[in-house]
Amino acid sequence: MKVYATYNIKGGVGKTSTAVNLAYLSAASGRRTLLWDLDPQGAATYLFRVKAKVKGGGRALVSGRRPLDAAIKATDFDRLDLLPADFSYRNMDLELDDAKKRTRRLDQLLTGVARDYDVAFLDCPPSVSLVSENVLRATDVLLVPLIPATLSVRTYDQLTRFVADAPKPRPEVVAFFSMADRRKRLHREVIDAIPRDRGRVADTIIPSLALIEQMAEHRAPVPVFAPASRAAACYEQLWAEVVR
Amino acid sequence: MTDVLAARAPADGALDVDALQDLLSSSFHVVVGTPRVVRRARLDTFDGRLARAGRRLQHVTETADERLELADGDETVVARLPERAPAWPAMAADLPDGPVRDDVSRWAGVRALMVVDEGRRLVRRAELRNADHKIVVRLVVDEPADRASTEPATVVVRPLRGYAKDADRAWRLVTSVLEPAADPLLPGSARPTPLLVEPVAPAAALLAAELAAFSAEIRANLPGAVADIDTEFLHDLRVAVRRTRSVLKLGREVLPADWRTTWEPQFKWLGDLTTPVRDLDVYQLGLPDMVGWLVAARPGDLEPFETHLARRRTAARRSLLRGLRGRRLRRLLDEWDEAVAARAAAAAPGTRPSAGELCRAELTRAHRRVVRGGASIGPSSPADNLHLLRKRCKELRYALEVFAPVVDADDVAKAVSDLKGLQDVLGRFQDSEVQRTTLRTYADEMLADGADAATLLAMGELVGHLDAEQQRARGEFDRAFARYVRPAGDRRMRRLYVDGGGRG
Repeated sequence: MKVYATYNIKGGVGKTSTAVNLAYLSAASGRRTLLWDLDPQGAATYLFRVKAKVKGGGRALVSGRRPLDAAIKATDFDRLDLLPADFSYRNMDLELDDAKKRTRRLDQLLTGVARDYDVAFLDCPPSVSLVSENVLRATDVLLVPLIPATLSVRTYDQLTRFVADAPKPRPEVVAFFSMADRRKRLHREVIDAIPRDRGRVADTIIPSLALIEQMAEHRAPVPVFAPASRAAACYEQLWAEVVR
Repeated sequence: MTDVLAARAPADGALDVDALQDLLSSSFHVVVGTPRVVRRARLDTFDGRLARAGRRLQHVTETADERLELADGDETVVARLPERAPAWPAMAADLPDGPVRDDVSRWAGVRALMVVDEGRRLVRRAELRNADHKIVVRLVVDEPADRASTEPATVVVRPLRGYAKDADRAWRLVTSVLEPAADPLLPGSARPTPLLVEPVAPAAALLAAELAAFSAEIRANLPGAVADIDTEFLHDLRVAVRRTRSVLKLGREVLPADWRTTWEPQFKWLGDLTTPVRDLDVYQLGLPDMVGWLVAARPGDLEPFETHLARRRTAARRSLLRGLRGRRLRRLLDEWDEAVAARAAAAAPGTRPSAGELCRAELTRAHRRVVRGGASIGPSSPADNLHLLRKRCKELRYALEVFAPVVDADDVAKAVSDLKGLQDVLGRFQDSEVQRTTLRTYADEMLADGADAATLLAMGELVGHLDAEQQRARGEFDRAFARYVRPAGDRRMRRLYVDGGGRG
């Protein structure tokens, strides 16, 4: 099972949209795919119309009292399952701190379902925490959405340093620009100036489009309700670039 | 509830989809799709490998959509077919790239996929949604497209992971008006029922039943061998011929005396007829492995050899087809079936020897010959002695298979497994030698045709590999034989022929 995580220290950069759309495209290409919504806000869970509730909460999952596969829900799409968010995930750092091998617990939990899935996506909350350390340990590819703004580049610096300092094995970092508007001079300049020596920067740029925001209205991935749109094409291109 | 479940209308009533929808609407938001005519062709290998592996592969054709659906339990993987969908029969390698092809290739191996069943159905897909409009159960209403058909309409309930309670509720509602039924889309068991014969039954009756089954096997594989659908039709036909010959030999004591001069040569002719093409098939199927044996040569150096094999096979198939389509074979099979049926009818109860008696006598003899033959082989024994022992092992293997219906199935399986280890070593020893000799013949032919030095050198590497393989097999013989004659294996064999095999 190959594990991807959408992660950024900063919030509101398009992590959930990316996780939802890429997980959908992964399943549509025939791969058995699991999306774990680790963000207590539960936006990905909401988009798939699943209740943001896990029996026993994050504590039961982390302690192993409730097996991961008992909490998994099918989405409306073939081969795509969801491990829903729960508001108690806000305390996941504390639960992980109590666990044995505290930085490897998520990896251990995912190993338990590895036979059922070809691909897993982790939609991460925006923070630097024990959850993040666990994500780095469990993940093969860290997908980092960046808004083309000066502060985002600074955050990207912090993030790549955080990954470089993490114990091995470390994930491959793939950054990409999200919510970009080519009409804005600053966006163009930041995209051109991003340092490309600290990790792979994808060629695909996800533009700032109203259609992507409409996912919350349709409660579905973009390729489902607007298959011929530019937004759908961008996510398809990004998935092709990431998966190769 | 996690498994897919199916229900159908009671025998005396029709399926009222609107009434069912109303019933389900009491608990769910029901979204029913438009009815579509769906043509389903179930695909499998001739010997049902996918069904045996619990897979169901279907070529589904709907308006503007052609796809393959591979179901494994309650999980279905779909592969869209390109505009030019494969024409069946086709090999798994001809399927579109992806998980369907990967899984089907694993089970189908060298066998072609053929249409084993097809039909047109009127299908309505329904989604049962909860208050959040999330799909919690899927339903498929499947009716025959032909109104005159007497086949029942079926409702299949497909639970979704994490929504077992909803599926239970849906199933209770569905079965309040319909009867539970087997899912018409799930594969059935493709394993034939094994033949069982009482040891006191006349030996002639057992042999006639087996000969009739082998004849049916020859006939079943004949069209596929003629059409060259895949290499295994000819292989299975040859196996049935070989088993027929082995029964004729083992049963000389109880079968009519003139069969030795009439039928034994006939089946030898049929076996010999198929040998050249099968030998070439073995080479062609083994080529990918042979490429892996190369050390200094490049894989491309063997391409002219591949072409040479293909050319020879085309020529060999011409002779084979003349034989398989000819009058001689037609007459052989017709007259053979009559002779076998007459022999079966003549085997009155109480006729001696009984199946159990013949089994004991033949297994004793065949086993003794293997043990004695193996014990006489020493470090300086010529290769011919090992070849002879291989033949003796084959005779014992056939005897075990022939008499399997009268002895304990587990004991036979264990005895065959014991013997297999020895057969493998002897097989590698002889096959390496035969392949080496044939390779030299091919190399001579290709040299005469002006083959490249690079190709001949690559073939030389193959000869070298085969020589080393033969030496390895020779080195393993003593251990394999010692393992075969160890007391536990010997006791198992004796239980078969001294105690009568535990049945009867």
